[in-house]
Amino acid sequence: MDGLRDSSPALAFEKDALQLTVEDVYDISYVIGRDLLKISKAGAQVSDLQFRIVRVLEMFEVLVNKYNLSLEELKMERDNLKRELDRVVGEKSAEQGSTLGPNQLVVDLKDPNRPRFTMQELKEVLQERNQLKAQLLIAQEELQLYKSGLLSSQPSEPAMVDVELEPATTNSSAISPKITTITEEDESKEEAKNDSREEKTTIQKLFSFRRK
Amino acid sequence: MAKKTYDLLFKLLLIGDSGVGKTCVLFRFSDDAFNTTFISTIGIDFKIKTVELQGKKIKLQIWDTAGQERFHTITTSYYRGAMGIMLVYDITNSKSFENITKWLRNIDEHASEEVERMLLGNKCDMDEKRVVPTARGEQIATEHGIRFFETSAKANINIEKAFLTLAEDILNKTPGKEPAADPMDISGGNTGAGWKNKCC
Repeated sequence: MDGLRDSSPALAFEKDALQLTVEDVYDISYVIGRDLLKISKAGAQVSDLQFRIVRVLEMFEVLVNKYNLSLEELKMERDNLKRELDRVVGEKSAEQGSTLGPNQLVVDLKDPNRPRFTMQELKEVLQERNQLKAQLLIAQEELQLYKSGLLSSQPSEPAMVDVELEPATTNSSAISPKITTITEEDESKEEAKNDSREEKTTIQKLFSFRRK
Repeated sequence: MAKKTYDLLFKLLLIGDSGVGKTCVLFRFSDDAFNTTFISTIGIDFKIKTVELQGKKIKLQIWDTAGQERFHTITTSYYRGAMGIMLVYDITNSKSFENITKWLRNIDEHASEEVERMLLGNKCDMDEKRVVPTARGEQIATEHGIRFFETSAKANINIEKAFLTLAEDILNKTPGKEPAADPMDISGGNTGAGWKNKCC
């Protein structure tokens, strides 16, 4: 226990050189100074050596100080860079998925009106719509033709005649009476739209031969 | 099968910036009506109107295109089949007029060489908001050797005249003027046979 107070500064000699602090240097100076004092009693010629040792210890102090400061700076620098790296990596991963080029668009998957179909699909749908529209127009036109053809009862409608003369399921002669029947029914049942009685007959005719 | 109700079929196309009134111009011609609510055309649509010129019944199949850029891949595929193209701008919208050169370039790139072109400055009823002078329309039309009308679908100015003039110009270019071969070919970007067959 007694020696602890004394030996404590001397422990600095046992430390790893790179672990030394300025305090350790001061401990070393203290120990060396004390030992020199013992020697100096023996002869005055040690005083030159004493100054040199002090000088070396001062240099030692500066070097240790400098080393520790550099180490501290490097550690701080390292920690700063580490933090910076963490921040950048964090930002990057947060942005992941939403990072966009100049020609890209964000789509909100919860938006019921979000774009879902390709231009090709739209093109096909439009083409089909227009095709059907054209067919409807042609059908309407043909219907008009049939109507007017039968209304004026001109024999100049070969298409009409052809169709009518085509053999039906039973026999072709049955068509005419059939139409007559329908017309009669028509007259008796409906509160005749007086303007279109003949036209109705035409439509009835159309349907009657289409039934086959 | 059925007898044709017309002697010739002409395919026309309306192009121009979004909102200049292409659909309204067509609606006025086909249905003699006008609607103020703006509904952007989706891709491409068409209407049919039969007219009589020089004693011939001519069925006009008029394609109405979307002006919006996003539909261009669809609309440009319809250029080739067109025998007549109406380029429409809005006299109250200078950008739509500036873009006429762009639309003319589109025609050069995608339409048949023989296509009959016509320039329309629409909305001429809104003279108080006019930003494109009539002379500028006339000038660009002259430069490109095409006809020019200022029209108003709303006030029914020059609409029928424009369509009939375009149809007549096509009719006068049609040698023989024999009946159209195929009734209402609907496909876009097809062979453009309409013209070619009649020219050769």
